[in-house]
Amino acid sequence: MSSLRTCDHNGMPSQTALVIDDEAQIRRAVSHALSEDFAKVVEAATGADGLRLNALEKPSLIVLDLGLPDLSGISVAEEIRKSSDAMILVLSARHADQEKATLLDAGADDYVTKPFSTLELKARVRALLRRASSHRATGTTIRHGTLSMDLDARTLLRDGKLVHLTPTEWELVRVLMTNAGRTMTHRQLFAAVWPGRQYGDAQQYLRVHVANVRRKIESNALDPRYIFTEPGVGYRFAASQ
Amino acid sequence: MTRAHASIWTLAFLSLTAATIALFAARNQLGEAHVALVFLLVVLGASAAGGRVLGMTTALFAFLAFDWFFLPPYNTLLVRNPFDWLVLFVFLITSIVAAQLLYRARSERAAVERAEALREADKLKDALLASLSHDLRTPLTTIKALAHELQPLGDERTFIIEEQADRLNRLVTNLLEVARLEGGALPLDIQINAADDLLGAVVQQVAGRPDQDRLKVSLDDPATLSFGRFDFVHSLRILGNLVDNAFKHVPDTSPIEVTGGVEGEVLIFRVSDHGNGIPVVERDGVFTPFYRSTAKASGPRSGGLGLSIARGLAEAQGGTLTYREHDSGGATFELRLPAARP
Repeated sequence: MSSLRTCDHNGMPSQTALVIDDEAQIRRAVSHALSEDFAKVVEAATGADGLRLNALEKPSLIVLDLGLPDLSGISVAEEIRKSSDAMILVLSARHADQEKATLLDAGADDYVTKPFSTLELKARVRALLRRASSHRATGTTIRHGTLSMDLDARTLLRDGKLVHLTPTEWELVRVLMTNAGRTMTHRQLFAAVWPGRQYGDAQQYLRVHVANVRRKIESNALDPRYIFTEPGVGYRFAASQ
Repeated sequence: MTRAHASIWTLAFLSLTAATIALFAARNQLGEAHVALVFLLVVLGASAAGGRVLGMTTALFAFLAFDWFFLPPYNTLLVRNPFDWLVLFVFLITSIVAAQLLYRARSERAAVERAEALREADKLKDALLASLSHDLRTPLTTIKALAHELQPLGDERTFIIEEQADRLNRLVTNLLEVARLEGGALPLDIQINAADDLLGAVVQQVAGRPDQDRLKVSLDDPATLSFGRFDFVHSLRILGNLVDNAFKHVPDTSPIEVTGGVEGEVLIFRVSDHGNGIPVVERDGVFTPFYRSTAKASGPRSGGLGLSIARGLAEAQGGTLTYREHDSGGATFELRLPAARP
């Protein structure tokens, strides 16, 4: 089980990260980037090795490259997910939107596109860590920017004023806001808002509702500040820092 | 006619002849049903082995043999019993229908196999390009990461290294895109998408730029939701390329307008700038790969692939990308995609 903070009570990094990439230079660069937030970083050059180390070291973060020589990224992610709640960050090449969505559906938590800057990588890792620790947040009110969601009363306020949402729109916003900072694939959102429904060609309903919701909660629907589009993958509700 | 084909035809006629002789020998003990069914078997065998034309030909000859040898009066094509005409013609029709059905089943199977083969070829192409993409992007990742690690040391050159790595990455992306377009290995994910969503994504993409405020995005009809049937990622790339070009070729503070709206059955996105437009002589050329405009452009060159990729992506989705001159003399690019109603 992953802990929810990476630092012990003295503020020192206390957890392990695992980097799985067949390129030695990339492993080095990623390990270096992670060394600030993690006490121990282990490396693997193949999927098989990565799975072995995962079982041995039980890391709380796994950075997984998609272009591994022996196993597909999806099979490694699925295998890890069977026994661990660790955060999985995927390194993907562009033009692989379908793959990204499939990986997120299979249990990966986020992705970074190659070539990435180490700054980007660190930012994503920190966002994941923050998200992990905020899961502990109690209370039934969620606040982001000018939006305030009361889960018990099932109301959404914007600048203190009530926003009128249909039941479906409410469900959509609730799922997005409770998963703030996380990219949710079209499929995941659809399954959450229309449980039990066949995904098939009703995906367009999702887009219609997202468009309607944006018009209600964004000050400019064409320049969103809350609901961001991840092209080809899904949507992400921006977490307030 | 190939040798194999010729031998099948020969075999069919030999079978028919043999059947006729055998049946003739027992003519007095056999009824019309026996003859009809045996001949039908021969016709089916000929269709299965040699195709529709052979099947039909065999049917015709079987029909004639049936009439001549087995329907009184024998040795004529006349028929004494009027109901025998019924037998004859039902036999003929059955033979022809059977031949046709067999033919259809076979061509359907052939079509399925062809489609399978095409899909396999596409998958192979896609795998190759993915592999190439990975191999090109990996060293770029290392270069970028190391340049970034050196930045705190204060050497300004590390920023240039990172910038050049980005530039190389853009070129790699463009080249892979062209390879996909030319090779027909472009994955298409056509769905019903909202115009709002696409325009918002363009704004998101421009967000990092210092001159991002030049971009003005709007809907022709803000009160309604407009939808189209297109591939989101490809269309974003088209608009992104057009907007990048506008920033590059009109390097001042004038606005760059992106609008979206429905006109009839078409969803139109327009990207307009307030520069000098494109001279008439160059208006076709700009859409060809590696075209280099004779007009000056500041900033890093992308090798002239942006517009040809944009047009290729537009057409792959069943749309068009065209140029139109602005009232103020600037350039307007129009992307047309099929509109949709969810």
